[in-house]
Amino acid sequence: MKPVPTEGAVSSSLAGVGRRAAEVEVDPTTLRVIGGALDAIAKEMAQVLYRMAYSSIIRESEDLGAGIFDVSGREFCESDSTPMHIGSIPAYIRGVNRRLEGSYEPGDVVLHNHPYHGASHSPDYCVLVPIFWQGEHLGFAGCTGHVLDIGGAFPGLSLDVVDVWAEGKLIDSAKIYAAGVRNDHLFQHILDNVRTPDMNRGDIEAMIACCRLGERRFTELLERFGVETVLSAVEKWMDYSERMLRAEIEQVPDGVYRAPDGWLDDDGKNYGKPLKVALAVEVSGSDITIDLTGSAPQVETAFNVPFEGSVLPTCNFAVRTLFLDEATNQDFIPQNDGAFRAVRARAPLGTIFNPRFPASNFARFSQINRIPDLINQALAEVMPERIVAGCSAAVQSLAYSGVLDDDGQYWVYIEVNEGSYGGRCGKDGLDAVDCLMANTRNNPIEELELRQPMLCERYELRDDPPAAGRWRGGIGSVRRWRFLTKTYVGSEGDRRSDPPRGLFGGEDGRSGSIRRNPDGPAEESWPSKFTNSSCDPGDVLEISLPCGAGYGDPLERDPAAVRDDVLDELLSAAEARAVYGVALDPDSLEVDERATAELRGQRGDRE
Amino acid sequence: MRRIGVDVGGTFTDLVFWDDATETSITHKTPSTPADPSQAIIKGILELCGKAECDPSSVDMVFHGTTVATNIALEHNGSRVGLITTEGFRDILHIARKKRPYNFSSYQDLPWQSFPLVRRRDRMTVRERITADGRVECPLDREGARGAIRSLKEAGVDAVAVCFLHAYSNPVHEEEVKELLAAEFPEAFVSLSSEVAPQYREYERFSTTALNAYIGPKVSRYLGNLAREAGGKGVSEEIHLMASAGGVVTLDSAAERPVSLLMSGPVAGLLAGCEIGRASGRRSVITLDVGGTSADVGVAPDGELRMKHLLDTKIGPYDAMVPMAEVDTIGAGGGSIAFVDKGGMFSVGPRSAGADPGPACYGRGGTEPTSTDAMVVLGWLRPENFLGGALDIDAGAARAAIEARIARELDTSVEYAATGIFQILSNSMGEAVSLQSVRKGFDPRDFVLVPQGGAGPLFGWDVARQLQIPRVVVPGHPGIASAIGLLTTDMRYEFPATVWESSDGADLERIEAEFRRLAELALSQLRADGLGDEAIAIQRTADCRYVGQGYELRVNVPDGPVTPAWIAQTVAAFGDAHERAYSRRFDDVAVQIVNIRVIGVGTVAKHEIPRLEGPGSDAERALKQTVSAFFPDESSPEPLEHETAVYDRALLGPGASFAGPAIVEQYDSTTIVGPGQAAAVDEVGHLIIEGVAA
Repeated sequence: MKPVPTEGAVSSSLAGVGRRAAEVEVDPTTLRVIGGALDAIAKEMAQVLYRMAYSSIIRESEDLGAGIFDVSGREFCESDSTPMHIGSIPAYIRGVNRRLEGSYEPGDVVLHNHPYHGASHSPDYCVLVPIFWQGEHLGFAGCTGHVLDIGGAFPGLSLDVVDVWAEGKLIDSAKIYAAGVRNDHLFQHILDNVRTPDMNRGDIEAMIACCRLGERRFTELLERFGVETVLSAVEKWMDYSERMLRAEIEQVPDGVYRAPDGWLDDDGKNYGKPLKVALAVEVSGSDITIDLTGSAPQVETAFNVPFEGSVLPTCNFAVRTLFLDEATNQDFIPQNDGAFRAVRARAPLGTIFNPRFPASNFARFSQINRIPDLINQALAEVMPERIVAGCSAAVQSLAYSGVLDDDGQYWVYIEVNEGSYGGRCGKDGLDAVDCLMANTRNNPIEELELRQPMLCERYELRDDPPAAGRWRGGIGSVRRWRFLTKTYVGSEGDRRSDPPRGLFGGEDGRSGSIRRNPDGPAEESWPSKFTNSSCDPGDVLEISLPCGAGYGDPLERDPAAVRDDVLDELLSAAEARAVYGVALDPDSLEVDERATAELRGQRGDRE
Repeated sequence: MRRIGVDVGGTFTDLVFWDDATETSITHKTPSTPADPSQAIIKGILELCGKAECDPSSVDMVFHGTTVATNIALEHNGSRVGLITTEGFRDILHIARKKRPYNFSSYQDLPWQSFPLVRRRDRMTVRERITADGRVECPLDREGARGAIRSLKEAGVDAVAVCFLHAYSNPVHEEEVKELLAAEFPEAFVSLSSEVAPQYREYERFSTTALNAYIGPKVSRYLGNLAREAGGKGVSEEIHLMASAGGVVTLDSAAERPVSLLMSGPVAGLLAGCEIGRASGRRSVITLDVGGTSADVGVAPDGELRMKHLLDTKIGPYDAMVPMAEVDTIGAGGGSIAFVDKGGMFSVGPRSAGADPGPACYGRGGTEPTSTDAMVVLGWLRPENFLGGALDIDAGAARAAIEARIARELDTSVEYAATGIFQILSNSMGEAVSLQSVRKGFDPRDFVLVPQGGAGPLFGWDVARQLQIPRVVVPGHPGIASAIGLLTTDMRYEFPATVWESSDGADLERIEAEFRRLAELALSQLRADGLGDEAIAIQRTADCRYVGQGYELRVNVPDGPVTPAWIAQTVAAFGDAHERAYSRRFDDVAVQIVNIRVIGVGTVAKHEIPRLEGPGSDAERALKQTVSAFFPDESSPEPLEHETAVYDRALLGPGASFAGPAIVEQYDSTTIVGPGQAAAVDEVGHLIIEGVAA
């Protein structure tokens, strides 16, 4: 086993470890059929998990991952649920192997969440079920899912906490079933120490069902095709994914491409002290390294990032998205270990992207989402047709909680708010949608109001005009909640001080905000991160999400598209004139071609 | 009673005549008229009546399966729709569930933003608010609503969707707006969320309602024309439409709620499979309907349709929260294109050559090899038999395409490549079948496989073999099975309500009252359709989940009063369903009854597949010739060449039997019987293939 990484560039793959010595020939038809079957197994596992799950984060947000792995954690297949989970399970397996390697038995079920031993972060529980074939331990069926509460200092989210023990209860490689026998005492102990025991119990059961299903399906595949054929086919599929990604990377000229520095608002305690994100992309042949050297030192709050469980999957995601965009590339390129092999990441120990134990690293999403955003900025000049202008690239999560009067039970609701994309080459940015590493569903308002004492007053696009550009930025959303009872609120967000960055003459995007009792005498502006605030019955909280940046010169925007935005009341006619140089007839709102040409001519001359 | 079933496909309009007094069943096919499908329908009905030697006016009912609604949604060419919604919620349809279709893509489009059902300029908000428990938190601003209606009228919309938060629990404000619309804008097509989909989950409900409004004006115009033209030609105006849940509804009801028609076509195929299986003595069926570009897979345990999970009821990119029978469509058909990608991987589909240029062997300029080309190379599709020899087939072109694009790239024989194309497609069909059977707790060994469509019987024998389905039942006319399905269904209406009650401490009276209310709705609908009470049955179901879960499973619930015993039975039924779906049950956890549903079923006389007379039980008489054909072989990657008998389906009568490998030809379909399998014609003329569990 490789040592836990410390410094230097680390491959986001564990390639080479465990590759079987004897590979057999697999004919092309069988290879394709096995590839389809692996994909179906991962999808089916994920489906069982989110349809059976309790936590809204798993079932509505699909904040989960599931797949089949070899004994060392090399990924054979994985569900495409949410990017943050894709590729994180191999690190969990490494963490668990360090304690359990050699002791697995059929019927074991392992639970793990230690963020310094592979976990993506501590609320992302991982369940592993070892797969045996004729007595040989071949690999694991594994899944991850975000449970609502893990018994930390505060309900739901953690920010201003002293260390990794304060953020929640750690479970390190615990066999909750040993050789088929359930350890009820351990199970009970785990549930007794969280605020939402019924929910967590249901979620763990769903995760076990998901893994057992994966184990069964993979075993069926072995029965049908034979172990040597299946494992050899898997190797070929991993090599295939690697080859497809490398072929694209190779087309970028070798070199070091540095992004302009990004700035995170603060660590959630030392308000007003921004934290630097430095990023460079190194391309050498078909290898690509994401270098985060120069980024801020680790912080004293939970605003640090688990390196293995979060930074590596993120770099992998960013590279894959850029080079093998699923919408423009129609080839079926499965997600597996091969897709990790060309990608490396570097973040010195002791920095925000690679903290020293036991610093808390619960709140990591806003930092990691800057990685793909800055990679776009770094590569803008060399691949302008594939990159995106600045995206919201943070995540605004809020944890609402309270205690029910009748039985003292906690209710906890974690809201993962959407973001928006920057303008793209030939296309406007996407409005109000989960951004980059985030890809979760919202909860129906009608469901939330049935379950929780909160009333939604608004859920719409923001009123501000979109960031201008030849292709404009996406528009963020705004949401207003009125609280019906005393409610505790925690927030993990960012992107207040350093808005999404425009490209090629496009305007910068807009920051988000959180306001308590907005537009009234008691209005308060709240920071992007806070740990345990509260609202009283009748209070209103308004959350505005960032708008993506523009791409290209607004004066080159198609006047018909400007007119559409005016008709859709995203832009005023005055703004159309001032920002885009487009004149609209005041009555019909038709484009006045002549006046537009004149306006644009004058503006062009001045610049 | 005389009835006609009409299924409109892209190429052909298929018709079946059924007279239950004389047990006469007559089939007919006529080319479709895509610009106005009603032309081919009327023409087909007149031709069919000629064949049946009956007066068109003596036909009592016409049952129609249509893709008109589906095509409008898929081609984004519906009406301009205005939306009236709660203040503060203008963009529910624009934000949707805020999850991207693709993870790894920054250049994707969000279909609900790129092809909105209602553009933002046509989405009006009005002050009003109802809470989750149905209380009016803020009364409707009637003046605001009137203003919104006037703006929409002025903007020139054709249809208006009215969607207020929590309208499923109290429709009062939507109904007020409906009255205002009747006064201010009577010509608009109006859809209320509380009528179209009265269940909680605002995005899905709004989307369903907007979709209904989007396709409404065009669908009702089409249906109106059809009824008028039918009347004008003396054909019965009693036209019924196939709905997605597997029953038929009246033309008026379909015109009001066209969103219920979105799965009309595929569901008819599944119903036909049930009837075909039943006629051959088997109730549990799996259907495999393979056309040129896609394959529909349906599973009906005990001949009962299963309903799709809420998260899967979409049409194209649009969510539609309406009951749909579980039929999955995958991109695998006769025209699916095979290729070797730049990473050297061998793949087939989902891209299809369609009808133009079509497979390489059509000689219309197609150079990419398709599944049809592969079967020509394997010797299964013979040029002289294509549509009875009506289409010129260039076997050399099929071989050349496979050689150039596949065999040379992979360094294999042409026969290997052709076999691979077949196997890759056949396996993806098998995957789709197992997704709906094994993976949902149903053992395929308890089923029969009914292949349909022109290409279904080419794959049936092998899909059955993969899944160990013991028997394949190939109907007499695989190409027109869907039209038969139309004549085998009941009238069926479903009425849902969200009740949100927990099994511990449920308000029994309230549930009872809601069931009564829904049953009244169902009864009055069926009575209005002309059914007597003796022909009406009321079924009840509930969508349940464990308290705290997010997604429901649908279970049948007992008849009779809602008592503690009723609750216990419902909880037990849900436990069974949960265990079947997820292999776990939690008997100590309370069950939440989220929605209840009443299904009104009006029984109508059904088509029965008649026993076949002649044409003789001697297979030798039907033997056309013996050819050499290739079949995949377990023992080696290369296919094996077999002496293969070719039979004429028209000459195979009940009792005829023969051994595989064999090719059975008929006008619009070809059936393969694999090596080692045996085939026999049963008394209703179905070809039964056995020995598939090799």
